Amino acid sequence: MNKPLRNPEIVWRVEKRRQAEVLKALEEGNDVDDSGTVILLQSGMMHQLNLVGGLIWQQCDGQQSLADIAGELAKEFSVEQAEVEADVAEFVADLAERGWLING
Amino acid sequence: MAETTQMFSAPLTFNWTLSYRCNFTCDHCYSRDEQCPELAIDDVKRIVDILVEQQVPFINFGGGEPLIRKDLFEIAEYASKRGLNVSMNTNGWLLDEAAAQRLKDVGFKSVGISIDSAEAALHDAFRNMPGSYEKAVRGLDALHKVGLKSTMSSVISRINYRAFRELLDLARGHGVGQVYLHNFKCSGRGFKNREDLDLAPDEWQAFYLEALSVKHQTNDLKISFDDPVIASLPEYQEKTIVKGSSCGKLSLHLRPNGDITPCGFIPVVVGNILKEDFETIWFDSPVLKAMRAKEATGKCSGCGAFDDCQGGCTARAFATTGDFNQPDPHCWK
Repeated sequence: MNKPLRNPEIVWRVEKRRQAEVLKALEEGNDVDDSGTVILLQSGMMHQLNLVGGLIWQQCDGQQSLADIAGELAKEFSVEQAEVEADVAEFVADLAERGWLING
Repeated sequence: MAETTQMFSAPLTFNWTLSYRCNFTCDHCYSRDEQCPELAIDDVKRIVDILVEQQVPFINFGGGEPLIRKDLFEIAEYASKRGLNVSMNTNGWLLDEAAAQRLKDVGFKSVGISIDSAEAALHDAFRNMPGSYEKAVRGLDALHKVGLKSTMSSVISRINYRAFRELLDLARGHGVGQVYLHNFKCSGRGFKNREDLDLAPDEWQAFYLEALSVKHQTNDLKISFDDPVIASLPEYQEKTIVKGSSCGKLSLHLRPNGDITPCGFIPVVVGNILKEDFETIWFDSPVLKAMRAKEATGKCSGCGAFDDCQGGCTARAFATTGDFNQPDPHCWK
């Protein structure tokens, strides 16, 4: 999957207030891996993505390649793109297997 | 992936009563005796704009009978074009094939029809409307024919709790994919007729055990419950988004004049969406805060199920005692 696209059947939104809290907690050096900032709703079930997952999800518009997404993420967290490429690919593959992402 | 569930930025669903007017007088209706001025369409659209701004994804029109309001189609089209997922519940009386096609054309994602018994005479008597069963079933067929997703809603009460399998078969025969077996609320006419319609706690327990067993054996139909008290049963395995009642946590209710209540069955106004800042209502309302942080009282104190059921249905506790924190009168523990 080179240009992942969010499955249009999934209703989702950024939890704005929670995202602001998570960003603040991150700045303070806290672990925020288990804190959801984006919610996905499908067939009455809700799933949550954490800050990093949520940022990747928001980039999955069917226009951007995995490399583009990794580049955006690297910029957001001020790290080298090579450091996040494998994680992005793994995350996208996981969501694709669940049917939440499709080929764009 | 994340695990924690905290306070949501806004409700996921607004249950929206555009009008309390109805062509039926059902025995269990929570709203038949309600009176409230209705908003003009410009104000209704202003509310849609607020919901879009707040990123509320779902609205569900109820009532009253939504199809009584002639501008329902225009309202729904405006909302769906603005990105909201629109659905409604209707008694089906006005839902012929032409109406079903219009509902589809204006963007409805699904339409639910209320049917209380698979026996026409029993349904008609409960709804106090001869011919209502036939028209409700015709409505299901019309939705199926035009390709609009249909659901069926059945409020479980003394008239149907032993015959819910027949309701499921009825749904299967008319292209319905999901059946909601709603819990009986003690609001409005439902409160007045409680003695005749409500089950005893041990009957609720027996019903849910049986219905859960059927659900676990059913693959061709989605069977849904909305009763928080069911979470106290070990047989109930579903992962719900929140514990206890969803009202005030995942959903809110709009009255025809823009007043907000936690749900349609709790007649406590927490603000008006056109006159007050929505985020202030959602985050700071003392009523909503109390509903989100219920305290175990009475037999809930020390009960091992409280973490899962949160005292059961808040609306039912409030209707019968005037206190959110009292145990749900349906609880069998």
